[in-house]
Order: sequence, then C-alpha cells, then structure tokens
Amino acid sequence: MDMATTRQLGSTSPARRKPGYLRRSDRRFAYLILAPAMIAFLVMVAWPFLDAMSMALYQYTIYDTEPIFIGFENFRTILTDPYVLGSWVTTAIFVAGTTLLTMFLGLSWALLMYQDFRGRAVFRTMTLLPWILPSTVSAFIWAWMLNGRYGIVNMLLMDIGAVNAPIQFLSNDVGAMMAVILTRTWISIPLFMSFFLAGLQSMDFQQIEAARIDGAGNLKIVRRLILPHLKPVFLVTGALGMIGNLQQFDIIFALTGGGPVRATSVLSIEVYKQAFQNWNLGMASAIGVLWVFTLMPIVIFYLRSLFRED
Amino acid sequence: MLELRTWREKAGFIVILAVIAFFLFFPVYWALSSAFKANAELYLSDPTFVPHRPYLGHFINAITQGPLILQLGNSLVTSTASALLNAVLAALAGYSFAKFDYPVKRPLMLLILSAQMFPFGVLLISIYPMLQSVGLLDTRIGLTVSYIVFALPVSTYMMYSYFKQVPNELIEAAKVDGASNMKIFRRIVMPISLPAFITVALYAFMWSWNDLLYSMTLITSDDKRTVGPGLLLRYINENNADWGGAMAASFIVAAPVILVFSVLQKQFIGGVTSGAVK
Repeated sequence: MDMATTRQLGSTSPARRKPGYLRRSDRRFAYLILAPAMIAFLVMVAWPFLDAMSMALYQYTIYDTEPIFIGFENFRTILTDPYVLGSWVTTAIFVAGTTLLTMFLGLSWALLMYQDFRGRAVFRTMTLLPWILPSTVSAFIWAWMLNGRYGIVNMLLMDIGAVNAPIQFLSNDVGAMMAVILTRTWISIPLFMSFFLAGLQSMDFQQIEAARIDGAGNLKIVRRLILPHLKPVFLVTGALGMIGNLQQFDIIFALTGGGPVRATSVLSIEVYKQAFQNWNLGMASAIGVLWVFTLMPIVIFYLRSLFRED
Repeated sequence: MLELRTWREKAGFIVILAVIAFFLFFPVYWALSSAFKANAELYLSDPTFVPHRPYLGHFINAITQGPLILQLGNSLVTSTASALLNAVLAALAGYSFAKFDYPVKRPLMLLILSAQMFPFGVLLISIYPMLQSVGLLDTRIGLTVSYIVFALPVSTYMMYSYFKQVPNELIEAAKVDGASNMKIFRRIVMPISLPAFITVALYAFMWSWNDLLYSMTLITSDDKRTVGPGLLLRYINENNADWGGAMAASFIVAAPVILVFSVLQKQFIGGVTSGAVK
C-alpha cells in the first residue's frame, strides 16, 4: 500500500474502511503495542547512531575533558590518511572475496543438496554446523587448522608436495587475508545454501524436462534455466552477504586482530581500535561515517527490493 | 534436477560433493579429534586422524580450571534474557505493522529496517558512554539491553511477515464476539504464531551467544564475562597457546547451540529465509 492510500484510509468514511481495523481504539492499540519496540529502537539504535555520527565533528580524545567542536577536521585527516584509505581497500577486498566465494560455494552446495541421493538428509542437517558455532569457536578451529607449525593444512600441503616448508598463514599479509576470507566463507555457506535451496524449490520441472528432451545437458540447464530462475535469490544473498561482511568484526578480531600489522584491518577493526584502544572517539566516529556511507547504497538497494513486493 | 547418466557425470558429482563436504565438515571433525588428544599426540609432526588414546584431560581442565562454567552461566543469562526481550518487542511491533493501518506505519517500518545501515561498532561508540552514565556499564543488564541492537530490526520484520499470513477472518470473528484487541492477540494470534516466536527468540539468542564485540567492550570484570571474550582471553595469547584446551572449551561452549538447533533446525531455517527473501 502506498502513502496516498494509507492517508486516504485514515480519514475515510465507515463504508470504505476495512472492517474492524480502523476504529480509533484499534489505532490506539496499534500505537501502544508498537511503542516498546519503538522506544527500544530509538534509545539503543537511532539515538546512538546520530550521536556517534555527530561526534565525528568533534575532537574527543582521552586528553580532552569534553568534546571540542572542530567541524570537518576529522574528515580532512582521514581522507588524507593512507591507513584509513588502506583500511577501506582492505574492507573491499575482504567483502568482495568473501561474498563471491560464498555465493559460488553456497550455490554449488545447494545444487548438490537438491539432488536425490542416499545420505542427503545427513549432509543437509550437518551443513548448518559452521553457521551456528560461536564466532570465537570458528576462529579457534581455523587458527588451529592453519597453525604455522602443527596445522593440519600445512601438513596436508607438504604431504602432497605443494609446499616445502610450512606456510605461516596468520603472520603474512596474503595468508592472513586468505585465512579470514576462508573462515568467514566457511561460516556463511550454510545460510547462503538455505537461500538458494529455497529458490530451487520453486523451479519448474516441466521446463527442465522439456529442455532435456531437446537434448540439453546438465551445464546448459544450469546456465539457461536454473541461474536465470535464481536471479532474485542472487540479489538478496548478494546484498545480505555484503551487508553482513561489511559489518564483520568478531572473526577477524579473533583470528588476526587486524594484523599482521594492518593487513586485515577492515573498517570495523579500525573503528574499534580508534574508539576503545586509542580512546579517540572523534576519529573513530569519522571513520564510522565513511563506513556508513559504504553500507548505505547496499542497504537502500536491499530495502527497496524487500518493499517492492509488499 | 541434474541427471547423472554416464560414469563421468557421476564421478564429477561425487568429486565436487567430496571437496565441498571436506571443506565444510573436516574442520569440525579435526577440532573435535584434537580435543581428545593428549599433548604428546596433538603436536606430532605426523598427525593421527583418529586419537589413538582418547584423552579427556582437556575437557576436565577446561571445566575445573578457570572461569568457563561461570562464563557459560553469564552467557546463558544474558542470551536468554535478550532473546525473550527481543522476541516480545518484535512480536508486538510486528503485529502492529501487520494488522493495523495508521499514517506513519511505512516510514516507521523503513526506519527500523534501515538500522542495518548502522554498523554495530559505530553504535557502540555512543552506547558505551550512555551505559556508563546510567551505571549499567560492566553489568549483565546493560549487556542484555545492548543486544537489542543486533536482532530487533530483522526479528520485527520476521514477525511482521508471519502475522501477515494470519487470516483476517480469524481476528474479525473474535471481534464480532466482543473480544478486545489485547485478548485477541494473546489468546488467538500468539498461540498459532508460537513457531515464529520461537524462531525469532532463537535468532536473537544466537546473536547474543555468539557475540564477541559488545561483550568484550561493555563488560570489564572477569566474573561477568561471557563465553566469547572468555575463550579468547584464556586461550589465545602470544606466549602460550593451549590448542587442545582451546578445542575442548570450544565444544563445551558450542554444545548448547548445537543441541537446540539439532532439534529445531528445519523451522529455524524456514523462518530466517522466508523473512528475508519475501
């Protein structure tokens, strides 16, 4: 329902009302039950957000007794700070790498799990496991797998002769980035698979049968029929995946702490360190603004697609 | 969907299945197997895939030494309380959005949903001094209330899309019988919406149980710490990595969520995907 009709309904004559829903007492009830969530939202989400955003205009470090208004000075600093820009690029690499890899593996796994074979139920049930594990636990598991001395990944790589000496994954730049992408992908595959599987349920079988009779092979059916059918799912998972990965903090912090040096220091880590290690709240907020503006287009795109169907 | 007629197609299917399955499941198996190995076996240069002599020492140490049990209790209290708080708020708001019409409805819904644009880390910058000023910093209540941030927007939408499917006739019939709105909500709508309510509560529970950032920042005393930061502080530091202990403690911490989800997983996945796709 669009705004115009809503407004119209609000002041319309009894005959045009939907029965029973719009009496004044009903509306009072509607406001009343909305109020608790709304208050919680305003106090814990909306106000802190605005407050943190406005903090970006102040100098507020551990040496300042109270915030000092400095206008856009913080932004001038971060836009010329190679570390902040580097962090933005690191974030982009992490988000792009993780989202693409998860989509690819999530779709592949959904296609496999849609196939009828013995033992499928067990696989499907177990698939959820990486997703429900606490993030610290997942980080522990992968830190142990990738350990530079006793890690099983290194041992397997050496067994097949791929490397001669163990790789110190978490203490070199590329290795650390690979590790966080891999771990985050591992965690996200189950959810992505569920989305793709839900999309596959509405596939038209007759269409596939017809294509088969015309001599289409598996690859062709995937390319010509399944992928186009899943387009809306791609958009939703892509947007949700990017939003989630842009927000990601726990895994990276537990696995690498943003290091080595700054190799995996994405915006979330950067803000955390500025705010709660350096206690430079003004600067942290300014980086936060950059972070919000990175998220905004994706969230707007996602919300529009969500509301178009209503 | 796919047809596997020739042996090559079958082999291809099995290989891809095996590769992804290995990636998904082997890490969990390996961590579990490591948890049952004594240090002498754990740090072999030629690792054993199945523990030769299953060893329970890591589990016993994790439980008897250090604050793990206390932290499990803290996590249980904060996660359960925030899950219930979140589910109740979301159910009420979702019902209001789904079954009533009022002028500012759509903007308010959009406002709540657009919260996904607000990074949790940014909100924390203001939540920290806010909790401090009302004396709730470093308290379990403060942490519980802060967890609203994670799940409320999506939970509200999930409840909204569930209530949308509740037939209007049901509510109208009760209305004709003279039932009040509150009575209809409590006696008629909520009972048939219990699956959605449980799903939303679980969704919120998982966010809080798995949280690291908020708990690490808003809780500073050892006796109030939850499992996420607790594990991190105890097992990962430069000079001393107790991998066997870390793996054992990890499974103790993960056990409650694994248990709950093995029972309710179908419902849960249905709820989460339908909430976001539609």
